[in-house]
Amino acid sequence: MSRHPLLRVVAALGLSPRRVALAVLTGAAALGSAVALIGVSAWLVARASQRPPVLDLSLAVVAVRALGLGRGTFRYLERLASHDVALRGLVTLRERCYSALAAAPPDRVARMTRGELLTRFGDDVDAVGDVLVRGLLPFAVAAVVGVGAVAGTALVLPVTGAVLAAALLLAGVLAPWLSARSARRALTGCEAARAAVAAESVALLEGMAELEVAGAVPARRTRLAGHERALRAGRDAAARPAALAAAVQVLATGAAVLAALLLGAAATAAGTLGEVWLPVVVLLPLAAAEAVTGLPAAAAELVRGTDAARRLVAVLDGPGAPARGTARPDENGPWALAADGVCAGWPGRPAALTGVDLCLPPGTVVAVTGASGSGKSTLLLTLAGLLAPRRGRVTLDGTDLADLDPAALRRAVHLTAEDAHVFGTTVAENLRVAAGAVTDDVLVDALQTAGLGPWLASLPAGLETVLAPGGTDLSGGERRRLLVARALLTGARTLLVDEPTEHLDPATADALVRDLVAACRRTGRSLVVVTHRLTGLDDVDEVLEVVGGRLVAQPSSAYVTAASTSIAAPSARSLSASGTGSASSASRPGTRLTS
Amino acid sequence: MRPLDARLLRHARAARRWVALATALQVAGAGLLVVQAFLLAGALAAVVTTGTLPPGLPADAAALAAVVAARAGLSAAQERFAHRAATDVVTELRGAVLDHLAEAGPAAVAGRGPELTTLVARGLDALDAYLVRYLPQLLATAVVTPALLAVVVTQDLLSAVLMAVTLPLVPLLMALVGWTTQALARRRIARMQQLGAQVLDLVAGLPTLRALGRDRGQAARVRAVGDAYRRSTSAVLRQAFLSGLVLELFTTLAVALVAVGIGLRLVGGDLDLRTGLTVLVLAPEVYLPLRMVGQHFHASSDGLAAAAQALDVLDRPAGRREGRAAPRVAAVRWEGVDVVHPGRDVAAPAGLTAEVGVGRVTALVGASGAGKSSAVDVLLGLRAPDAGRVVLVDVTGAAHDLADVDRRAWQRQVAWVPQRPVVVPGTLADNVRVVVPDATDAELQRAAAPAGLDAVLADVPGGWHTPLGSGGLGLSAGQRQRLALARAFVRVGRGAHLVVLDEPTAHLDAATEQVLLDAVVRLRDAGCGVLLVAHRPTLVAVADDVVEVSSAGVAA
Repeated sequence: MSRHPLLRVVAALGLSPRRVALAVLTGAAALGSAVALIGVSAWLVARASQRPPVLDLSLAVVAVRALGLGRGTFRYLERLASHDVALRGLVTLRERCYSALAAAPPDRVARMTRGELLTRFGDDVDAVGDVLVRGLLPFAVAAVVGVGAVAGTALVLPVTGAVLAAALLLAGVLAPWLSARSARRALTGCEAARAAVAAESVALLEGMAELEVAGAVPARRTRLAGHERALRAGRDAAARPAALAAAVQVLATGAAVLAALLLGAAATAAGTLGEVWLPVVVLLPLAAAEAVTGLPAAAAELVRGTDAARRLVAVLDGPGAPARGTARPDENGPWALAADGVCAGWPGRPAALTGVDLCLPPGTVVAVTGASGSGKSTLLLTLAGLLAPRRGRVTLDGTDLADLDPAALRRAVHLTAEDAHVFGTTVAENLRVAAGAVTDDVLVDALQTAGLGPWLASLPAGLETVLAPGGTDLSGGERRRLLVARALLTGARTLLVDEPTEHLDPATADALVRDLVAACRRTGRSLVVVTHRLTGLDDVDEVLEVVGGRLVAQPSSAYVTAASTSIAAPSARSLSASGTGSASSASRPGTRLTS
Repeated sequence: MRPLDARLLRHARAARRWVALATALQVAGAGLLVVQAFLLAGALAAVVTTGTLPPGLPADAAALAAVVAARAGLSAAQERFAHRAATDVVTELRGAVLDHLAEAGPAAVAGRGPELTTLVARGLDALDAYLVRYLPQLLATAVVTPALLAVVVTQDLLSAVLMAVTLPLVPLLMALVGWTTQALARRRIARMQQLGAQVLDLVAGLPTLRALGRDRGQAARVRAVGDAYRRSTSAVLRQAFLSGLVLELFTTLAVALVAVGIGLRLVGGDLDLRTGLTVLVLAPEVYLPLRMVGQHFHASSDGLAAAAQALDVLDRPAGRREGRAAPRVAAVRWEGVDVVHPGRDVAAPAGLTAEVGVGRVTALVGASGAGKSSAVDVLLGLRAPDAGRVVLVDVTGAAHDLADVDRRAWQRQVAWVPQRPVVVPGTLADNVRVVVPDATDAELQRAAAPAGLDAVLADVPGGWHTPLGSGGLGLSAGQRQRLALARAFVRVGRGAHLVVLDEPTAHLDAATEQVLLDAVVRLRDAGCGVLLVAHRPTLVAVADDVVEVSSAGVAA
């Protein structure tokens, strides 16, 4: 896309030309009133000095008073009209971005953190609103008023009209261009220094006690001072074009006034310009300056909004989804999920896992552990069909996930992400989002299975209790259990759960995993749970560990006691594990690490 | 909120300088405006009344050109120096806050970490808009407006009276509008924020809806909630812009009335054209600063809030005393030490009495919340005990109260590994050198093995030169811990002989833990005192002395 991102994003606002025209015209009326007020006043004062009958002045007097009222009134209307245009545009922009993401390949959404999503739809969209209201509309208004002022002046004395036009072009085009340069320098030239100052300050503050004891504070302060000097130099460099812009504006207007005075006086002496019109042509440039004074700031606003626009364009014009599969899994199962030689990883990053062979017959419960960042969550996303495998295939009852109808796949295999969202609505709505129209009894049942029976009983309005957006009014354990209840309600026979047990206290974390396993056992579901802890896993069929980009069986005590697994050794480590593991058999179907 | 916080001027020299400079620029600008008005009015009046080219015109024009050039210079200077002043003020305030917190110790940061982090990292940058745009206009209303008014008084008393009456009326009316619509505004803003949160809630839930296969059709809901949000925002704005309406309406109407008044008095012959034109040119300038202040008011309030937050920190007493040089310490003792935490009516630790000697390993055990880390803070001189004292015993056996000893000299003898070691921006080597900036490569290398950092070095792509921190590699908790252990070993190599390890094995695997335990024994055998804050039995096992820390309720 070669178009400027601002143009692309403004096009996506779907603006109504009528409303934009209204905003520009009210703005022009407000600013025009201010300019005309000075022009008419100048005529009034000059004419009055000739002591005409008062009646001659009455029209001008009425006009001056009306213009005095007009500026404030029209300015108010303009602010309402311009904000209305922007707000309507932002609603459309948000909707379009949402639709674009909803239609994008699954991994695009999965790859965005919550912070990113909120910045895109919050700050970035708002920045586009600012671009419109404070950047683009002021230029349109200035253009209308500038043309009007030039035309008015030219009617009185053509040559002064030309002078004013030149001055307005300098002040309204050159100065904003300089200001935009300055804003760009401030953004690109200072950002590194600004980030260094912030990073060094934060390190100093967070490590204050340690640095203090080590006597290292003065040395860190010296480093901080160095970054601050760089920032100061950067900002100084950025301020230079802006200072020039300010000077250009004053000079351009001043020159126009001076030229109008000399040309106008000459015309008056020559008799080609009536005396009373001289103050009009001289003072109009002074007043018209107001049309362009705000433009350097408007230009800076455009520059600042460009980054936000670029990010939004990436959302709007990102790749669409590949052709959707149409196959449907057999309603009667058996719902066996399998990975065959899968290499999992995010596009553009090194593969997180390679050579994953995994078979989950119905009813298998598997725990996956491993260090943070080792690729556990990537594995779950791949198994859920939300991230396409780099190599190999993930199948459900022998059908590649990519060939399945996405909606049907979601009903068969459900992933509860670590940061799965609790919506700011009722408990019931939070559950029905997974289940559709089901009775309250079903919901209560799911909550009880997830271990939330007592919690539900404690809620003032029961299922109709409204939760805070993001579930911020729930404890960590309650939030996870609510998500488990939701997962159970999806009806999916295979649950993939990413448990963030790292942020929970150990007892809560263990109870969570234990109850989750029990719930799946009771309902005969398959489960793959990612956990950071090795405790609480007494009842799982298999504990797998992600080590060095491979998935290997863990010779943990839990595994040994619950050994019901036969392993056919994809790696040396699991080979040794299989020695103990495959010895016993159990009534439960087992996980298979097939080679 | 006061428009100018006097404390800002007290604490930031750069702010004082900027206020002086900005005032000077405004005064000079006002003077030039007056000269410009007189020159223009004089020249215009001469031509209009005579209908011929007056002989003074070239001189007037030259003077006018000079005035314009000078005004352009002032505008440029204002723009140029405003940003520099803003950078300097922010730098000064940030430095003062950091120095103050270093002086006050960790208790001053406790519980306010994220807030203060935001403040020093980015929050103070909000002062920019205040210092660059708002403050000069504020000074202008205080200086330029009265000065111009005084000039108008000398020209046309009636116009001056009209201005003097309307000027204070404008802010008064604005306040009145704000005050009468306050309750309604609060309700509407609450509603708007609620709907805004709903929009973002839907957005934040997109991945979840997607995982549930329910993302299609949600775009319509995004639009519906978005439309409701728009309508409520419009309602808020209709009201919020009212004070702007008052401002613009009255300032412009006042200029119009002045113009009409001048016109009518000119007809009556009570005024000459030159005076009339002078006042006409000056009238909008009288009201301009007030309008600008109104325009930049909202942008500036964030900056003022950030400044107030910083100044509040500076206003708290740091409460540190410098003392005598510390002796070479052979043992350090808690004697009946209590630490009371604000908001909790327990002392943790309570009545702690114990000794840490060189050549011994002492383990500090106790339930979580018993005050083990607070006991360490007190020992290190990072906070004063609420009861009892810490005593340093020197090699001759003489005892010194830590409160009387120079804290830094004492801390030079200690190497401390806190629970959450700091990672500074820089390479892995820079991060070890944090504690001893001139440590040689050989020293780093020697410290790496006993700390288990050699394993980390083998794992990271660039070895010692791997960049860490923001934009660099993120270390796991265990890797951080080993980094901090390496720092401690470098310090020991430079003469520190008391090593304090706060839960050193919390994030280590069994093999690395053994490396550390060996190192602890080696340190003791080399004559160091080692204090371990311990949870794990393996740590307690290597200790020569075990000290139980406990908390106790205190009378509220």
